[in-house]
Amino acid sequence: MKRTSKIFTALFGATLFFASAQTAIAAEQPTNPILGVESSSLAKFGGREGVHNWVESLFYYIMLDNRINHIFKEFGNVERQVFLNTQLETMVLGGPNEYQGASMSAAHADLGITMTEFNAVVEAAYNACERNVIAYHSCNQLINALAPFTKDIVTR
Amino acid sequence: MKGVRGSKLRLLQCAAILGATVCSNAAWADWYNDGKVFLTGGVFTIDGAGGGGAVPWATITGYETRDGINGGVGFTYVKLPNYDINFFGGSIGFFDRFELSIVDAKLVTDDLTTVDIAALALDGLLGADNGLNPNGTTIHMTTYGAKLRLFGDAVYTSDSWIPQTSIGFLYKENKDPVFVEGTLGAAETEDWEAYAAFTKVFFRYSTLVNVLARYTSANQTGLTGFGVCHDALRNDCENKKEVRAEVSVAHLLQKNFAIGFEYTMHGDNLDNRGVDVLGLSTSVLDDLLPGIQDALMQKEESDWWDFFFAYAPNKNYSITMAYLMLGNIAVAEDQNGFYLSLHATF
Repeated sequence: MKRTSKIFTALFGATLFFASAQTAIAAEQPTNPILGVESSSLAKFGGREGVHNWVESLFYYIMLDNRINHIFKEFGNVERQVFLNTQLETMVLGGPNEYQGASMSAAHADLGITMTEFNAVVEAAYNACERNVIAYHSCNQLINALAPFTKDIVTR
Repeated sequence: MKGVRGSKLRLLQCAAILGATVCSNAAWADWYNDGKVFLTGGVFTIDGAGGGGAVPWATITGYETRDGINGGVGFTYVKLPNYDINFFGGSIGFFDRFELSIVDAKLVTDDLTTVDIAALALDGLLGADNGLNPNGTTIHMTTYGAKLRLFGDAVYTSDSWIPQTSIGFLYKENKDPVFVEGTLGAAETEDWEAYAAFTKVFFRYSTLVNVLARYTSANQTGLTGFGVCHDALRNDCENKKEVRAEVSVAHLLQKNFAIGFEYTMHGDNLDNRGVDVLGLSTSVLDDLLPGIQDALMQKEESDWWDFFFAYAPNKNYSITMAYLMLGNIAVAEDQNGFYLSLHATF
């Protein structure tokens, strides 16, 4: 049953996300930071709606950053990215796993993302927290939860 | 002496010309990188290496990622009750893997009443060149450093306990043998140190923890030399290295502002050793000048503590201020003071 639903999610993700069309294996699972993520984190982001607002800000800053906006212009549909990222970030902050996109490694496999570009997105993430008046400490809970994806995303 | 200085200056000039050539070259555009996240390269340490104020971190200096090169210059001013210390230097980080650093330290005695009086008295008495100057003695030391990152990522491996791990090598050249060896009684003025550093950021608590093991025989980080000679004639000398622990903890209040503390373990080589003048120990001189032996007894070297804050308004500079508790330094006690450091990065 679980397996079927996983396959279903993967297939569903494939229709939604560009990279998954080639290499969809499974959707993403929540990460497992050694010290955990503060249980109030999702609430501090303002729940699912707050996370959505934060992701909107994230992409606002990403698309203003000339070091990285070309990647998203070329490969990503920003509207779709906001949709999937809201699901992903809600999940890693302790919310339900409704993520419909491809795994992080599958989604980024062919992009050749550098550490410099990855750090630029992290800077945009902090800017988005400031823009949405999310405390630095709460913002770090999200960085804490997303950090384990670094090795899947940075391939160059 | 002058010849050595001259050749060094020429070497520096060559390096500057080479540096300028590289900078103006179009290739530099491909090497230059400032992609690291705020403060994760550390600030400018008194050893020149990237880290906190006193303790190097396992992170590589500068704002480069593994995609390029970055670096900076730093200046630090330390104000203690009886000493002023200046540090000036620079460091370059290569591909977030390797760093090179150089730092010039100048310690000047200030208000060192007992020593001043004793120096005056001894100068008058013996016409001695003991390296002590009644108007302020200067100790000058240059530290060359290299650090290699072995494995681990201090920042992004929140799902693993493995810290970023680096090894470093420092060569310290103290330029005042007359004072440091002849008067204070250190065994060596030049020596090397090696260290292993382990650094990890715990995002859960917005805190960076760094632990370092340093293999050294330094007295006051080398400012007063290395090891000890037990007798004034320098026949009974020992310069044995030992492992000393150092810790730094930095808590981030916002992405570019950190507060924290540092601890560095120090040795006991020169503890309770008098100072020598003209190859005579103060116990001999005590007959001539009663009480001088006590005044010129070096106190037990203290471990160092400091509390700091570091602020990086942008990626081109950072400001670090600290309150230092350095305890006993040579003949002076209770050396608590202030530290101000500027680090400009390319």
